[in-house]
Amino acid sequence: MGEGLPELDPVVHGKLRLAVLSLLVTQEEADFTWLREKTGSTDGNLGAQMLKLEEAGYVAMEKRFQGRKPQTVYRMTAKGREALAGYVAALKRLLGGAL
Amino acid sequence: VAAGAVSVLNINGTLHGEEIGMMDVDENDGANGTTREDLVQRVALMEAMIAEGRQATGRYGWNFVLWGLVDIVGLVWQSAKPHWWGAWPIAITVGVVLQIVGVRIFYCRATTTLKNRTLRSIWQVMGVTMCLYCFSGALAHRANGIAYLAAVFMMLGMAHSISAVILRWGVQGGVGALWLGGGVACYFVPGRWLNWLFLIEMVVGMVVFGLYAMMLERRRARQAPVMRHG
Repeated sequence: MGEGLPELDPVVHGKLRLAVLSLLVTQEEADFTWLREKTGSTDGNLGAQMLKLEEAGYVAMEKRFQGRKPQTVYRMTAKGREALAGYVAALKRLLGGAL
Repeated sequence: VAAGAVSVLNINGTLHGEEIGMMDVDENDGANGTTREDLVQRVALMEAMIAEGRQATGRYGWNFVLWGLVDIVGLVWQSAKPHWWGAWPIAITVGVVLQIVGVRIFYCRATTTLKNRTLRSIWQVMGVTMCLYCFSGALAHRANGIAYLAAVFMMLGMAHSISAVILRWGVQGGVGALWLGGGVACYFVPGRWLNWLFLIEMVVGMVVFGLYAMMLERRRARQAPVMRHG
């Protein structure tokens, strides 16, 4: 990346994290198993990446029960939406010449 | 840059998924050293995931099939034993029980969108209203008037039409029109035709429509692009 070009948010840039944020932007909320299924990820890898997104404040996690089954539900925060929009804007600038 | 890359840059636009590559297990990669190819891959990844998220829908078609069949059974039962009060209350009670069982089998709260929540609310409120209306009519033995049947048709027509507007789905709009038209027709067709009108509406506007919706839900589930390792 050259001088003057926008920085890409490293938290958003990770492939799995970007995939999760792109999925969550279309939903009010989604549970862990759905995200795992859609991304083809493993429990451990997805769990670690979700923790990073949570620590960055991009997603909010809630644990609850559906009947007797425990369920971990994620929703994108306003900060996460801003970060994704910023990432898209940066991508636009970086790829702008060819778009 | 692929044409798809342009569309993903507006994340509110209509997107089309495409095959995407493997998911890195090591997710500590930042933006440093990102190549142009990496960026294009990220665009394709976003596009595929947004398309995938938008395809996530519930399974609701079975509800229409269930209630269509319940109502057909109620009608046939009532026709066979016209003076027996129990046909409708029993049919509706069995329908409610099957609905509860069906929700446990089919309903999956894996994701929620505002659109799905809105649609669910409309049909839940309509269902409760319909049950109260039909039960009180049946219990009071005053459920035989033309206006009673017309109101049932109109309620269903209204719920289908609202759903069609939200989903922008012409097929359901047609079904809504069928129910509303049936409600109007109740006042104009000879009394002996009413049972046939009811039967046709239930078969076409509930059972056939529900089966069609189930077929679309299955097809959509099969077509959904899933991100894969390797």
